[in-house]
Amino acid sequence: MKIEVQEKDEKIIRLIVKDVDVSLMNSLRRIIVSEVPSMSIDEVVVIENSSILQDEIISHRLGLIPLTTDLEGYNLPENCSCASEFGCNLCRVTLTMNSEARDQTQTVYSGELVSENPAVIPVSDKIPIVKLSKGQKLKFEAYARLGKGKKHAKWQPVSMCTYKYYPKIEVPSKECKDCSKCVDICPKRVLGMKGKRVEIKNLLACNLCMDCVDECPKNVPPIKITWEKNAYILSIESTGVLPPEKIIQQTTKILEEQLTELKREIEAIKK
Amino acid sequence: MKINILSKSKNQIKIELEGAGHTLCNLLQKKLLENKNVDFAGYDVPHPLVTKAIFYVRMNGASKPEVALIKAVNEALKLNNEFKNKLDKALEK
Repeated sequence: MKIEVQEKDEKIIRLIVKDVDVSLMNSLRRIIVSEVPSMSIDEVVVIENSSILQDEIISHRLGLIPLTTDLEGYNLPENCSCASEFGCNLCRVTLTMNSEARDQTQTVYSGELVSENPAVIPVSDKIPIVKLSKGQKLKFEAYARLGKGKKHAKWQPVSMCTYKYYPKIEVPSKECKDCSKCVDICPKRVLGMKGKRVEIKNLLACNLCMDCVDECPKNVPPIKITWEKNAYILSIESTGVLPPEKIIQQTTKILEEQLTELKREIEAIKK
Repeated sequence: MKINILSKSKNQIKIELEGAGHTLCNLLQKKLLENKNVDFAGYDVPHPLVTKAIFYVRMNGASKPEVALIKAVNEALKLNNEFKNKLDKALEK
């Protein structure tokens, strides 16, 4: 197995994984989307709301605000030692809001939420929650908890997580007429012209759409699009709740836990 | 996770995995099929909203299906561990 980091910044990671089976890639992808926990507002106690939006709508909007997550500091509510429905300091973070439009119409942004833990704050300060007209008030206490994407998409740590086959493009110059039709049709700008010859400019951008093959005027297109066997490009785009490399590391941890549990159960039925 | 045995004989086993879906079953099936003693391995998720999967393994007689299952899980664990180590190395660079 070979792993290479092709691209990495604070939101996106792109890994090239070679000599690995598709089933492992799919397991990892499924776990990232539905099992990696993240923090999200789960319960809201509205104290005063004279805005035009109902409490429920505001609560829903609050739930969708991504919060930076501290996985080590908090437990999942179902695994917490407090075993309480309400939660404790180890499984719940309180965020409060007290906003009023005094002089003119104003928009309440996510940046106005005051968190009891500076490590759990909205990823962006610029997410609008509600617009208040003069004299309207919004005051509430919100409880954020860890959760998993399989229960509600607001707990998904990623906005995008996919894998694709590693592309393989062949353009034999002998048979090719160099009409540049394949270069012009490619939506990802994979191909380019070098003088009178077609060349591959950006191989990894290819999404195997085969438009270049369809566009070729020859009966048997000389351009061949295939993919490498057992090589994948895994792209993860975090919403900002966790760094992308942390998400994938957490994923391997979760898969290990699940497999160990499965092993224990199978050993139990063996007896 | 809980395992219920639906049917069992010397060469085959049919189990219901509560709390497992395609994530684990697909990986397990692939690893089972790499085992030469396994005649058939397959699974089904009867309903997409219920996290239950039915797993079926049939052996060619050389060993017991439970042994093959444990071997497959170990293989999957090994694969995951390799991925973890290689990933940590790749991220360090």
